[in-house]
Amino acid sequence: MTESVRPRTESLPAAIARLGFDDPKRVLGLLSDPAVADLFEDSERIEPDGLAQALSRTADPDDAALAVVRFMEAAARDDSLYAAVTSALCRPGAARDRVLGVFGASSALTDHLVAHPEHWVAAAEAVDLGPVERTDRLVEAVQAAIDSRNADSTSTPSSSADAAGGTSIVGGSAVGAAGDPIDVLRIAYREQLLGIAALDVTAAQATERFEVTSRALADLAAAALEAALIIARSEVGAAADQTRLAIIAMGKTGGRELNYISDVDVIFVAEPAVSPDGTLVDEATSTAVASDLATRVMRICSTKTAAGSLWEVDPALRPEGKSGPLVRTVESHRTYYEKWAKTWEFQALLKARAVAGDPEVGQAYIETMSPFVWQAASRENFVDDVQAMRRRVEQHVPKAEADRQLKLGQGGLRDIEFSVQLLQLVHGRADDTLRSRNTLEALAALSAGGFVARDAAANLAEAYRFLRTLEHRIQVHRLRRTHVLPSAEKDLRRLGRALGYRQAPAEEIIQVWRGVQREVRRLHEQIFYRPLLAAVARLTTDETRLTPSAARERLTALGFRDPAGAFRHLEALTEGSSRRAALQRQLLPVMLGWFADEADPDAGLLAFRRISDQLGSTPWYLRLLRDEGLAAERLAHTLARSRYAADLLEQAPECVQFLGDPRGLTPQSREDILRRMRAAAGRRPDPVEAITAARGIRRTELFRIAVADLAGKAGLTEVGAALTDVTSALVEVALERITQAVADRTGGRVLTRLLVVGMGRFGGREQSYGSDADVMFVHDPVPGVDAGAAQEQALEIVKELLKVLGQRGPDPDIEIDLDLRPEGKNGPLVRSLASYAEYYQRWAHPWEFHALVRAAVVAGDEDLGDRFLTLIQPLRWPEGGLSAQQLREIRTLKARMEAERLPRGADRKTHIKLGHGGLSDVEWVVQLTQLQQAYDHPTLRTTSTLAALDAAMEAGLIDTEPGTDLRRAWELGSRIRNAGVLFRARRIDSVPSDAREADGVARILGMPPGSGAALADMYRRYARRARHAHEALFYD
Amino acid sequence: MDRQQEFVLRTIEERDIRFLRLWFTDVVGTLKSVAIAPAELEGAFAEGIGFDGSVIEGFARVYEADMLARPDPSTFQILPWRGENPGTARLLCDILLPDGTPSFSDPRQVLQRALTKASDLGFTFYTHPEIEFFLFEQGTKPGRKPKPVDEAGYFDHVPKGTGHDFRRATITTLESMGISVEFSHHEGAPGQNEIDLRYADALTTADNIVTFRTVVKEVALEQGIHASFMPKPFANHPGSGMHTHMSLFEGDQNVFYEPGAPYQLSKVGRQFIAGLLTHGAEITAVTNQWVNSYKRLWGGGEAPAYLTWGHNNRSAMVRVPMYKPNKGQSSRVEIRSIDSACNPYLAFAVILAAGLKGIEEGYELPPETEDDVWSLTDAERRAMGIRPLPSSLYEAIQVMEGSDLVAETLGEQLFDFFLRNKAQEWNDYRQQVTPFELKRYLRAL
Repeated sequence: MTESVRPRTESLPAAIARLGFDDPKRVLGLLSDPAVADLFEDSERIEPDGLAQALSRTADPDDAALAVVRFMEAAARDDSLYAAVTSALCRPGAARDRVLGVFGASSALTDHLVAHPEHWVAAAEAVDLGPVERTDRLVEAVQAAIDSRNADSTSTPSSSADAAGGTSIVGGSAVGAAGDPIDVLRIAYREQLLGIAALDVTAAQATERFEVTSRALADLAAAALEAALIIARSEVGAAADQTRLAIIAMGKTGGRELNYISDVDVIFVAEPAVSPDGTLVDEATSTAVASDLATRVMRICSTKTAAGSLWEVDPALRPEGKSGPLVRTVESHRTYYEKWAKTWEFQALLKARAVAGDPEVGQAYIETMSPFVWQAASRENFVDDVQAMRRRVEQHVPKAEADRQLKLGQGGLRDIEFSVQLLQLVHGRADDTLRSRNTLEALAALSAGGFVARDAAANLAEAYRFLRTLEHRIQVHRLRRTHVLPSAEKDLRRLGRALGYRQAPAEEIIQVWRGVQREVRRLHEQIFYRPLLAAVARLTTDETRLTPSAARERLTALGFRDPAGAFRHLEALTEGSSRRAALQRQLLPVMLGWFADEADPDAGLLAFRRISDQLGSTPWYLRLLRDEGLAAERLAHTLARSRYAADLLEQAPECVQFLGDPRGLTPQSREDILRRMRAAAGRRPDPVEAITAARGIRRTELFRIAVADLAGKAGLTEVGAALTDVTSALVEVALERITQAVADRTGGRVLTRLLVVGMGRFGGREQSYGSDADVMFVHDPVPGVDAGAAQEQALEIVKELLKVLGQRGPDPDIEIDLDLRPEGKNGPLVRSLASYAEYYQRWAHPWEFHALVRAAVVAGDEDLGDRFLTLIQPLRWPEGGLSAQQLREIRTLKARMEAERLPRGADRKTHIKLGHGGLSDVEWVVQLTQLQQAYDHPTLRTTSTLAALDAAMEAGLIDTEPGTDLRRAWELGSRIRNAGVLFRARRIDSVPSDAREADGVARILGMPPGSGAALADMYRRYARRARHAHEALFYD
Repeated sequence: MDRQQEFVLRTIEERDIRFLRLWFTDVVGTLKSVAIAPAELEGAFAEGIGFDGSVIEGFARVYEADMLARPDPSTFQILPWRGENPGTARLLCDILLPDGTPSFSDPRQVLQRALTKASDLGFTFYTHPEIEFFLFEQGTKPGRKPKPVDEAGYFDHVPKGTGHDFRRATITTLESMGISVEFSHHEGAPGQNEIDLRYADALTTADNIVTFRTVVKEVALEQGIHASFMPKPFANHPGSGMHTHMSLFEGDQNVFYEPGAPYQLSKVGRQFIAGLLTHGAEITAVTNQWVNSYKRLWGGGEAPAYLTWGHNNRSAMVRVPMYKPNKGQSSRVEIRSIDSACNPYLAFAVILAAGLKGIEEGYELPPETEDDVWSLTDAERRAMGIRPLPSSLYEAIQVMEGSDLVAETLGEQLFDFFLRNKAQEWNDYRQQVTPFELKRYLRAL
């Protein structure tokens, strides 16, 4: 700062501005105020190491300048005070720095100093005090006030009535005998607070001071509780001796890590006292008196008087919370925790510390309760409770503040505290070195015990100190209880400067804070998961490690149902010195967290192990996991969420690559798939091998679709279209190769052209995972070829195609279903176009027209496809709709199908396809409308159920309400079916009744954990409404 | 709750209770009981007692048979008629699935859900039922014409009447079980009695009704007679209804009360009634759940067969009773269609849901009906917009099937089961050849 001595040529305002004042003109005005004239020797220039420079070093120089003026005005009322203050403030030194430091950091404490200028000594000569001294000082002041009041009231009995109103705060020397004890408590409290703040804001390294400050604040709060109890006893009089009341501090007060201003969490415990005649007071009387005292203590601390208030005393952590009695005996607490307490209550007990009142009772309470804390982890629902608590912690951020919250939310203070406490509970039972009430001490103990990696613990502690210091600085300004970062530029500037950022304080502080938040998020995962790895990997480095039993405890706490199995997988994944093992040791800590978020963490970890084993040290795999953060995350979530995707990936581990590619999750077009399948097939001379190669591509594409679906990147319609494209491309390639092979065998001539017509969901481009492919085969002999020979060749091709596709391949099985062909199961597998024409003209039943509604060309000869569609057009979209006879037949058929096709034991209300309001109910309504109306309404001429339904609503053929009911049921049913396959890799026919399976399916549908029963209720509701719509629309 | 559990456990010890009965009802309101030893109770509070749900009407399908009954400690009650020492006590239960989530088929939880919804809107629902029933001489066999214990009428004092002793014994028993009785008298038909339970929140009232029906039957047995809640045992006498007075409170304010409004009935009260009338037909299958219920509804007299409301109109389905001056807190609405053989949990749930719907949607209340609805002609009724209640169980089922309100209130699963159960009952009934038919047709045709 020596360079700030400026030549006289520079104007004073310019010099002031250079010092960092915000509003130099105003500051200049303030500094030329007569009240501060004595503080300068030369008011025409900036004195080296003078007042102006000292002000400029504070957090808010402008505020500090104003404060000095106000303070000096107040001090001027007392000559000796004025002299002392002047001499201290015009000279450089610790005294001046402290007083000005307080001025710059806290407007609330400035106000206090203006009201009580004589307290400046508390700031200027501040020293660190121990808990006993703090209590002694407060108690002394309060006791003196009580004594003097008692003395007063004996002389003039009425004078104490208006004591509160009559006490002069301004300028009065409140400490000492005069005044209402409650006001005296407030003033003496604030005097000590001033000392704590003065040392805090002038610390060279703001964060270094955090522990001392927060401990001092907790000690001061404890002292205030003791003093308040003394006042309460004086109010109650002799009756107070009937009970021995102890105040137990909980929360941050208990942990000796308090904020400047915060609710003080307490629990009151009381035991009967021995009365003067030597007998024990009965428990009811004791508890009643104690409750009276406790209520008074709370009021004494929180009431707002002319001297302000201290803080709220919050007894909500007591047994039964707000509805429980305020005071209990030690024994009654014990019974409660033995029988009824919930997991979070044990967590709260971690911090319990006796701070005021009867020390023996307090001690007895602590000794009785502490064993309970350490049994918490062995309680039955511990894991579920903890998971639920963790979700609550993360979700409970008010939206409006989410962005600026220091305490809640991801990467906030609560995140750190919660994690530390959880680890204490999990491991503290076996290791009593962990049983500390203080967050930083506990963290250090966890690190020393090897439960948390050393560097992670150190970094986390640093982050915690930073966040808490920030919180302190925000709170000390107005002594308001807030955990939200201010948004005003001026406030941010002050904060930034307070933490030592001088260049661009407002921007820097935000930037640093965001960085810390991210760091906490990362560390928080590390402290949970990384030590697990250290335990299994038996690292030879200096890294301390978790014992196997501690590791299992922790895995259980994270939601793994088979911790021993998980432990083995971790071992296998991380042992050895290969690059892969090294990389996985790095990655798994984070991945474990992702697994634990999903329905089946065990399955996720197992699948990951298998894939890793297969890919071994494939260089791109390692690179992908290392470099593409998103890929690893997506992989973990996918594996623990979907058995179907995990199975596909185990078969084709190379698909992991998609996960890192931003475009990898977009389902590919049929053309692209076809091109790749042809290329893969083309390289193989043998048709069966060629088709197997094409099926390999199908497997890849199915995985891509599944992951896109799970990640919410593809909706129901996109998934249906993509699945249809994959199947049809495969059928196309298979048809090409087999036609060629058959022709080669029979003299090299292709005698007929083949067409594959998709029916049902296949024709409608609405396939689901694992659904059958309904098809019909059409052929048309090449001109001049004998019809019999052509039919024979066509049949051979179809048979071979069915055989090859029916074999087990690298991909999930494909079931080709030909039941919708003319004459059903009894008909020939393939017919010529001419034969179809003749058949439909002479024999066809209405059900066949109905089936044709969703007929679409999926593979084969395009020209033949066009001709076939022309042929069936008048059948599926007949002029004038159906005849009365046909309509009756269709309705009867549907009714019969409903009665007969439902499998034995299936529930008619929840069977997704054939149940009431199921997919088939919806589809028949839509298709019937198409048969009846598509001739008149060309928009109905589509094979897609949803498109046709929308068109029918658009055209006014189906009313919006029943139409919407049908649509919602169809969509939900289809989505549940898809999700069922994704979750367990097998088809489900009904809404799952098994709770875990229902939960897994519901999560895939995007519902919160534990929504299985809600999903079932939702399905039934949608289906019921769809059934009503069906009955109204289909039969009338 | 925790203190309540503690209290129960202590009382069991102090009063030397050796047997505990865990009660719950099936879907149609029949009481089910599981006996456990006191030692098992603490476990039952924590985890529930397992039982096979598939044997209980409407509880579960065979493959999800395992269910848990978890006693509600606030319902602990010593059963007086079992003798003092060693004593027996009962607790009502909530039914849970094996994973601890509430079962969708438990009627008690249906009502709890409905009450939770009301409390989300800021309301507490209070009910006060007037329960009618018949006393018959013992030996009345199913199928035979029953013989009532007396031939008296409304409010008649019957000297040395069996009913008199009976009512006294019943009331003593009820009071000793903590169920307050407001009023008891002889009703209009031979052997018919009415006992009114005091106002309480709907869940307590429903618990009390279930207990009440058991107490009445037990006391009757002790006295060598037989009690029945069958809605209409005699064609030529009035049946047994359960007129229920209802009110909604917001904090300690009765929201049906508005000084100066017609009948001191507030806008919320009017909307509540409008809800009852609008959805009255849909909920009838629940409030009047038996084939026999419709013989009472359509039996004329004071039975309400039309969706109407009135002030002092005893033929109206909903009545706004006479306002007592300066008793704003007792403003109430009386529903008269419901009968004493309903499942009170479900009945209160659907009634509350219908009323709340009226409030939420702000339904307009149609004008009150001052005439005796029975004496109007069909044309007059149509002109006045008076719709009838369903005329049979069959019709009631039909209307209920289309009701989103009832489905959402009962939960889809219970809704579905209830309808199937009732359709089955209707089917069984329709197959009967009745004495009426034999008498009228056998010779003549």
